[in-house]
Amino acid sequence: MRSAGFLLLVSASTVAAAPASALEEWTIDGGTVGLLVEDHRVPLVVLRIEFAAGSWSPWVEAYDAGAAFEIQLHDPGGDLRRRADLLAADVELAAGDLASGLSVSCRKDDLEAAADLVRMILANRDFDRAELKRRRKGKSLSWEASLKEPRFVLTQAAARSLFGPDDPRRRPYERPTLPGTDPKTLAAARDALVRIPGRIVGFAGDVTLAEAERLARDLLPPVSPEAIGDLAPRLGPVAQASSRPRDITVRLPRLTQVFFAYGRESVGWLDPDYAASRIADHVLGGNFNSRLMVALRQEEGDTYGAAVVDSGGLEPGPYALASFTKTGNADAMERRLREVLARFHREGITEEERALAAGNVVGRRAFLRQSPEDLLATAMRERRHGLPYGFFDRKAEEAASLSLEEVNAFVRRFYDPERFTMFALRPE
Amino acid sequence: MSLARRRLAPLGLVLLVAAASSVAPAPPPGYVAETLPNGLRVSIVPDSRMPIVATLVWYRVGSANEEPRTRGFAHLFEHLMFGGTPAHPRRAVWDHHERFGGDVNAYTSFDETVYVSEIPPPGNVGVLELEADRMVHLSLGEENLANEKRIVTEELRVGTENDPMSRLFTVALKRVLGEHPYALTPAGTEEDIAAATLDRAREFYGRHYRPRNAHVVVVGPVDAAETLERVRASFGPLPSDGETPPDVPEVYGWAYPDLVELRDDLPPVEIAVMGFPLPAPAGPDREAIEVLREILSGGAVDPFEDELVRKRRRALAAGAETELLRRGGLIAFWSACLPYRRRDTAFRHLEETRQVLGRFEWLGPDRLASAKRKLVREDDRRVYSAEAVASDIGRAAWWEGDEARAFDRGERLEAVTLEDVQDAYRRYVLGAKPVRIWVRPERVPLAVRLFGWLYPLLGGF
Repeated sequence: MRSAGFLLLVSASTVAAAPASALEEWTIDGGTVGLLVEDHRVPLVVLRIEFAAGSWSPWVEAYDAGAAFEIQLHDPGGDLRRRADLLAADVELAAGDLASGLSVSCRKDDLEAAADLVRMILANRDFDRAELKRRRKGKSLSWEASLKEPRFVLTQAAARSLFGPDDPRRRPYERPTLPGTDPKTLAAARDALVRIPGRIVGFAGDVTLAEAERLARDLLPPVSPEAIGDLAPRLGPVAQASSRPRDITVRLPRLTQVFFAYGRESVGWLDPDYAASRIADHVLGGNFNSRLMVALRQEEGDTYGAAVVDSGGLEPGPYALASFTKTGNADAMERRLREVLARFHREGITEEERALAAGNVVGRRAFLRQSPEDLLATAMRERRHGLPYGFFDRKAEEAASLSLEEVNAFVRRFYDPERFTMFALRPE
Repeated sequence: MSLARRRLAPLGLVLLVAAASSVAPAPPPGYVAETLPNGLRVSIVPDSRMPIVATLVWYRVGSANEEPRTRGFAHLFEHLMFGGTPAHPRRAVWDHHERFGGDVNAYTSFDETVYVSEIPPPGNVGVLELEADRMVHLSLGEENLANEKRIVTEELRVGTENDPMSRLFTVALKRVLGEHPYALTPAGTEEDIAAATLDRAREFYGRHYRPRNAHVVVVGPVDAAETLERVRASFGPLPSDGETPPDVPEVYGWAYPDLVELRDDLPPVEIAVMGFPLPAPAGPDREAIEVLREILSGGAVDPFEDELVRKRRRALAAGAETELLRRGGLIAFWSACLPYRRRDTAFRHLEETRQVLGRFEWLGPDRLASAKRKLVREDDRRVYSAEAVASDIGRAAWWEGDEARAFDRGERLEAVTLEDVQDAYRRYVLGAKPVRIWVRPERVPLAVRLFGWLYPLLGGF
């Protein structure tokens, strides 16, 4: 029964041709909400369920709950996977940073059977031990492979500089601890994870609210009334500029290029400066005519790519002006990279740049409205982070409404070269 | 394609299958296509439910069409085309897309070079004029060429030289395909790029960047008649010279080496690959191969992996991968093991698994039906994306010789039978001679070399 609900029109005010799509929310039980983006263009449905703990949670890490969540499609006989194939359904299981997601894409006429499959996956306690062992080995080999990838090695250096050793944001860049392989222990962890309150059951596509409410009603096991301790991620403070070296160099054999990341911590989504950062970042390194691209690629042909990379989120994360060039040109590239930032900080942006960026940050929201799945993903992302629906659309509008003076005041606060560290990956 | 399938759905599956061979392809509502007097092909699909207008310009020239004196030019031109014209300076096309939140980019393949504009309306107004202008009025100068040569060389370094897997792929392609035009990746080589001259660039542009060798596809919330008029006005006055390059040889039937051995800076695993050439997509087995590919590598159960890894426990990982180009492709079966096994043993396990799959225990009516349903579902999903629909039309026109084949794929897939899929496996895998590729890491830890063979005995697989 629909105990609470409202209608939110997710419409693109600047996109005249796009139809408005309705986002419906309702309460399923004391720890679960339902979301629906209805779209009847084609007979397809995506069912996406998010559970309220991900790999950043200390509890998830301690109990290998992420690995347990991701293995649950694998029973020893392969029956669940065969059932998924016979449904022509795509099933994906992934433990993300903040939440663990199970999604099924299927045809409308397979939706009932797909919901049954979800129940069977969540009830499976007989995990394939051989697959668990293969995944352990695979994880170990993937780690060794990533140590040969230039961008990974450079990002690793940045993560180690910005985050403390126990910060979960640093964990993807450290040698992984290999999960256990006892199916019973893992099944217990999975059972606990999927009962944590804060679950979201999302539907997108050719399904009505009545159908979604009915299907969601007995889809999941009941939420657990017992609180799990140590669930919330413990994000430490980001190392400030004064405590970081100004230059950090790491090395890899065989490189024919030098990779640079001129970085600091990013602006979090709730920071009052976040809207201004959308405009400034776009001008500095978010498009083909950005300051970085013009200075490093178009004028000098130093590089193929030069961009701003923002890996932050609700909380600040790594932020960098990134580029690369042949080894013989590395010194010149580093000098130009520093000059671009210094000039940007000193002079700010122009009104022409502001106007172009404002049009872009609002206009490109249309790319996130192409499918009902896109709309659902945005809504789930906002809810997962405790943000109001439409948060990112409103931030784009807010960014577009800022004056040149407001953006440049932010530029003067944020882009001070004194607050940046130059990370360089050079050949051994 | 999916719109056509949905219109037929109420008639029922039986009628659909019975009619599949005789039904004329039904294009989406409002679809308009014509060939202008100068040879330009234009296709327009209006869809008011899409928030983005995609405008794709397909030039029928890719890296496989290059001659020795123009090696690397297809990709180099992908860059040069953003260099501006007398009427529109260098940054005009980017600025236009920026203003409306659009994206503009391009890609070069073995068979084509495609320029992709995705932009919310009304930003699409103006895109056709920009594309028509740069089709024949590109500013080509020494300074611009030299700059783009440097940029493309950096792209080559980052995409291949400094990426172990790409580096390996580039070498493998050359060793497997030898003198076939697909043997060289679109990125070219540093030597090719360095050798590019302005005279040759102008000659390449004049031959291939002309209406006769191009296909403009517009999909999204547009008025088809009005858009067609704009295409006529923008592209119609352009000259009708230029040429479509001759077809490259088919991949199927080419002579391949028996064994290619490669080494690179890889993690400690050895990879054995058995590759089998496939015919061009324009051939009659296209749909059977699509279904075969879906069953072998598109589902949660991969029969090859299931047999080799899960049942026989002869590898750490395994699978089947298929790659298709305009003139043919490859289906490859691979396994990954820790580096202690003899090469011939690894290939024997692959060979045994190929034979076991020839019993078709993995292929029944239910699995066939679900594979076809999955492929149709994936097609259906493409109606959300203007760019995906436009790509399908461009590819069907160029790869299969008939853009209408973008609209009836559902019907053609429905017509595939068990016997068709079995025949495809027998013809292209079971009865074919493979090219074998053996990939080893340059360095193997001593402990793994000495004791790796214990891994499966200890239950590692």
